[in-house]
Amino acid sequence: MTALSAPSAPSAPLRAGETGSGAKRSGPVLLGMLRRRELQLVLAILALGALSSALHPSFLASGNVSFILADSVSTMVVAVGQTIVVLGRGIDLSVSPVLGIAAIGVGFPAQDHNLSIFLALLIVLVIGMALGAGNGFLVAVVGIPPIIATLATLTIYGGLQFIFTGGQEVVNIPNAYGNLGNANMLPGVPWLIVVGAAVVAVVWFWLRRTVTGRSIYAVGNNADAAFRAGAPVRRILFLTYVVSGLLAGLGGLIYLCHVGSADATTGSDTNVNLMSIAAALIGGTTLLGGRGGPVGSALGAVFLSEALQAMIASRVPPIWEPAGVGALIVIAVITDRGATPARLLARRPFREPSHGPQ
Amino acid sequence: MQRPPAAVAPGARRYEAIGVSKSFDGANVLTDVSVTFEAGQVHTLAGENGAGKSTLLKIMAGVYQPDAGELHLGGERLAGLSPRSAQRRGIYLVPQEPALMGSLSVTENLFLGILRRGRMRTVDWAAMRREASAYLARVGLTVDPDARAEELSIAQQQLLECARALAHRCTTIFFDEPTSPLTAHEAATLFSVMRSLRTDRYSLGFISHRLDEVLQMSDRVTVLRDGRSVLSGDRSALDRASLVTAMVGRELTTRSRARPHLDASGAREVLAVNGLTARPQFEEVSFSVREGEIVGLAGLVGSGRTEIAEAVFGLRPVERGTVRLAGELLAHRNPRACIDAGLVYLPEDRGRHGIFADVDVERNVTAGVIPRLQRWGPLLRPSAERSMAEQATAQTAVRMASLGTLMRSLSGGNQQRAMLARWLLAGPRVAIFDEPTRGVDVGAKDDIYRLIGELAGQGLACLLISSELSELVATCDRAVAVYEGHVVGELQGADVTDANLGALVVGGTPR
Repeated sequence: MTALSAPSAPSAPLRAGETGSGAKRSGPVLLGMLRRRELQLVLAILALGALSSALHPSFLASGNVSFILADSVSTMVVAVGQTIVVLGRGIDLSVSPVLGIAAIGVGFPAQDHNLSIFLALLIVLVIGMALGAGNGFLVAVVGIPPIIATLATLTIYGGLQFIFTGGQEVVNIPNAYGNLGNANMLPGVPWLIVVGAAVVAVVWFWLRRTVTGRSIYAVGNNADAAFRAGAPVRRILFLTYVVSGLLAGLGGLIYLCHVGSADATTGSDTNVNLMSIAAALIGGTTLLGGRGGPVGSALGAVFLSEALQAMIASRVPPIWEPAGVGALIVIAVITDRGATPARLLARRPFREPSHGPQ
Repeated sequence: MQRPPAAVAPGARRYEAIGVSKSFDGANVLTDVSVTFEAGQVHTLAGENGAGKSTLLKIMAGVYQPDAGELHLGGERLAGLSPRSAQRRGIYLVPQEPALMGSLSVTENLFLGILRRGRMRTVDWAAMRREASAYLARVGLTVDPDARAEELSIAQQQLLECARALAHRCTTIFFDEPTSPLTAHEAATLFSVMRSLRTDRYSLGFISHRLDEVLQMSDRVTVLRDGRSVLSGDRSALDRASLVTAMVGRELTTRSRARPHLDASGAREVLAVNGLTARPQFEEVSFSVREGEIVGLAGLVGSGRTEIAEAVFGLRPVERGTVRLAGELLAHRNPRACIDAGLVYLPEDRGRHGIFADVDVERNVTAGVIPRLQRWGPLLRPSAERSMAEQATAQTAVRMASLGTLMRSLSGGNQQRAMLARWLLAGPRVAIFDEPTRGVDVGAKDDIYRLIGELAGQGLACLLISSELSELVATCDRAVAVYEGHVVGELQGADVTDANLGALVVGGTPR
């Protein structure tokens, strides 16, 4: 505050109801918390677990719980990256091949040359960032709408993945990988979920407590206003795709460790695109941008994993899986009140305002 | 050998709108407006942009349905009018931006919807070309009927729209602000076509906010302001002064000033704008604001005043011209650089350019300064952020349940107070307030102006944009008037009056 000290407050009487629904929200604390998507999901996860174990007593056995958690982590990590892009009012349809390229990119050297897992970590992060930067360039620099830009790179990266594999498969990975991917830290607590939780925590902190993270919410909420408030909008959009790529790359390593194999269709065969978007939507992140967060998406990934296991336990044919995930997306979007079809269709890339004649 | 197409029109039927009202999203655009168009007359709708002129003509041309009121054509009541049924009844709207099919030929554009057909019901191109040349000649348009419409200039496209009205046998033709994209010479051509149509007993509607055109072209004039008809009468009964008053004069009773005029001529010049040009929006714009001074930037909506402010804040590229802040050149302007240099801009359209509706008040208020909240590298300090937000919202008296309240649930006045709080935190030396009281209730209006006065009292250089001239008169120490992108005058102290400003902003001279 240089030139300005406190001016006296204008004195108009407070009109009743002026703050509208904001006041209504601060009702009973418990009810308020129940409106939070994260808590709803925790309850849903517990309820589904209770229901499934009532039908199939072995469902909550330590081994199965541990599998459900470990199996969710590659989706979880990718979904957290997807969430960052969606918060900025974009979408990343290329996470499938990014995950796949990262998995084979370290899978072959690991299989053939016993690549150290630390080096593998470094490599997948670099691969992911590079591919993510490609998306960021198309969206934030060239100005192509995100859905089109990442649809194009989905095809480009998917093609590259085929070329890189040359028809080969990764089938044998070193023990260090397999242990990380499947061993438990404690009974029922796999190492992978610790990795996933760490990623979620770091991203949560980044989004809430750094200027860049906070600017992502502002840009997603209103890019014009964010630009006028001084945010470097293009740089931030670019960054969201880089981070999404980075986390998709990490997801590739996690997938490799957990499943133990990788080939030309890794990523697309398990429909990572759809699953990451589904986890984010179920977790309360809206496609309109600016609302949601990584914790919800992580819980969404766990819920999806649990739901798939519940279907398997109930002997629902696997062919029904995609339909089930789709139904969950519909439910998630319907229960998100802000997202009307018109607003969803209005998705456009940011352009710096008013350049050129009107 | 061309046969004359519509011979001489038999004379358009009288077309009346009676008590028409229309609102969009709860905002009243037209309230109880009545207007009559007669054969052989040019009836001009005058008023600022946003006064409701276009909406009225669009309703009468079937584009919009009125919420209330009736349309009568030659005594017959029209209900559920669509653009197509309006055209069949002889009513044609030449839109502000010609709505032609760019990749189709001039001929095809003329006859779109009424393509002439010959034997076998196939399109009879030869007949249409013959007819087309006659219509084109009637509006003085000498272009190849086979040329593609997009090859025509804007002025030619407008004449083509007019020929299209004739080809559709329309006798009531509305022109929605046709001259704004035209040069003076092109406008003169259009006017001569309109005069000749008037002679042939066509009924013409004409929208303009240029005083000279209104006086020159009209037989009747209706002035709209804020969606109401404030003046209607024959041209012969109207003079320039009464038109000016009707178009821009709100509450001509002078408001009492909250603070005396400040003669800041001795104070330091904080903002200096020199020769700023971004055609066609504005050209060679120069003005300055001194420490502690409130300078009004007066102009009609569409005069270029918001564009000028946005260019100063680095939101638009300029061809040339400079902006200096306390003597220092702001060369590569963007919002971040301007904010850091001490220049802030409160935008006109709060919803689109100001607030983050789904974000809480605290983060809305700190949005302009969060880079300054960093400690230990990139990490923010939540406690510092909260106390800054608390202090700033207390200064501007934002009324809210808590800092965690979502911005969208605040009233317009409180949202504007929160926006002011955002810019107070930036510690500005110059602030541009663009329509700061738009969408704000009456009580909050006075509060906002009082706050601006207090800030000026503490040395802030203020540039105030408003279309409410009386608000400028009551607040400003000095006023700069813009008309069609040019600075047309500057008034100091007691000379800042409704009458003087009103004359300047419509392109006249102060008395």
